[in-house]
Amino acid sequence: MLDQQRYQMENEVLSTYLPSTAYRFMDMHTANPYLVMGVMTNHGKAYTIRIDLANYPQNVPEVYVTKMLRTKDGAVMDSPSAAMHTLSTKYGFTRICHYGSASWSYRVSLYKIYIKCRLWLEIYELHLKTGKPMDYYLNHQR
Amino acid sequence: MQTPIEGSLPVAPDALSLPIIYLDNEELQSFLLSEAPTASGIAYEWEGEKVVHLHLNPVTHAFGTSAKVLFARSMPASPADAAYVVVVNPDAGPKVFISGEDGFKEHPASLIPARSELFSRSKGILEVGALADKRVMIVGLGSFGSQIAIELAKAGVGSFALMDFDRVELHNLMRHTCVLNELGRLKTDAIRDAILGKNPYAEVDRFPININRHLDLMAEEVRKADIVICATDNNESRFNLSKTLVEQGRIGIFGRAVTRAEGGDVFIYRPGGACYCCLIGNGWFGQGDEEITDEASARRDGRIASYMSAQDADAVVQVGLSSDIEPICNMMVKLTLVELSRGIDTGISSLENELVYNYYMWANRRERRHANWAPMPSAGAMPTIMRWYGAHIKRDEDCALCGVQAALDTNAPDEDLALLEEISRMNAEAGE
Repeated sequence: MLDQQRYQMENEVLSTYLPSTAYRFMDMHTANPYLVMGVMTNHGKAYTIRIDLANYPQNVPEVYVTKMLRTKDGAVMDSPSAAMHTLSTKYGFTRICHYGSASWSYRVSLYKIYIKCRLWLEIYELHLKTGKPMDYYLNHQR
Repeated sequence: MQTPIEGSLPVAPDALSLPIIYLDNEELQSFLLSEAPTASGIAYEWEGEKVVHLHLNPVTHAFGTSAKVLFARSMPASPADAAYVVVVNPDAGPKVFISGEDGFKEHPASLIPARSELFSRSKGILEVGALADKRVMIVGLGSFGSQIAIELAKAGVGSFALMDFDRVELHNLMRHTCVLNELGRLKTDAIRDAILGKNPYAEVDRFPININRHLDLMAEEVRKADIVICATDNNESRFNLSKTLVEQGRIGIFGRAVTRAEGGDVFIYRPGGACYCCLIGNGWFGQGDEEITDEASARRDGRIASYMSAQDADAVVQVGLSSDIEPICNMMVKLTLVELSRGIDTGISSLENELVYNYYMWANRRERRHANWAPMPSAGAMPTIMRWYGAHIKRDEDCALCGVQAALDTNAPDEDLALLEEISRMNAEAGE
């Protein structure tokens, strides 16, 4: 769970790199706080991601694209898939695999996770164009 | 307290005077000090072995069959349905009588030693009672935590807080102190009993909880403990504990085994020094090498990705031998005893000059990350197999957890940036 000091540090970092309208911390005084962020891909397509903060920064946070995405073939991305870098769904959203547990560190900032999500979304769009699975472009992290 | 009982029993029984009977010295003394003329107790017998322990109070780590025993100041006229009668007389010493076809007959017995005698063999190293007032909190009671708990009980540590939400399961039984007939028990209960079996005077508080979901309770217990041992298998609990240790200025010891227990390492946090977060990511501590012993718990906390097949997961779960983790547990115990003994004149204090590092590495076999370590005869001061290697991990001034100028990792790694550029290029090539 984010303590006050960490929350301020994260806020400071995010405000350095992103406009204040691009992110918002939600339900911070509950057991299930989360961060909502807007992500714009190279092709100008906008997505919203949700980062659950209940176990952050002690553990890899769960990250969702706030809608149920589909593959190029039309299959819903609602289940764990190594090929598509997705994990078990929740909230009816596609959950993305962004950091491996063995690569996780307490010091990884929310901004770094944002970068990973941006990468994931860029590759997702590439998949939609080429039909190649996402792990054709994106290696698996430990 | 008066001690009229010691040495006043008949000669200890030999094999010809079965059953072998034991009495608890301190219970006899408490009966003598009470006003009660009689008191009911319980006789526990190892079934088929004719070995009986007579107790005034119920024993939580009980065994075998049980029968009624009556404690009295003189032989009662009608001992009712008691199978044993213990006559406790300060002038004549205790006498044990066993019910038989011809009535009650006296039988020799031995005394379970009093607290003052329990650790008498440790004299000169750890004086009796030296650690009786010390409290150790152990988080995680798997193959590491269970052994450490019992070793510390044997050394005379008097108070424990045990935290683990798991139950004893088959998959790791061969490395655990628990035995087959304890399958299904809460580990906190099983290890409590094992501790009391070694030191019945120990105070053991059980917390069958996941500390990651009970941070306030965990912090409260850290505050009460003289030292905290982190023997869990995941970083979330280590980071949570580490944060609390830093905030409260408490000493904590972290230990783990690497894949198939080919080796392992031990880290000790001392207030003001490097914390667990300083250790992670500095090159000494490879998280990816950590041993995974249980698929279910590894899936639960993400160490095994949910998309990994059962077959692949099975290949990841690689458990080493119990004898391979013993040295690591032993180092954690030694470090704990040294820290608990600081300021107390004990034989173990001399280790303060040896165990000065905050990070220790151990290799059981010349495999993988240890493959290039030099053979012991030519290793000199370098790391080698079956020999501890200590290192000073420096505190990271920018550590996100304990740093003076705490900073977060914000830089996108080069490969991420390169990949973004590559994707842009590929996207352009793929067209709209």
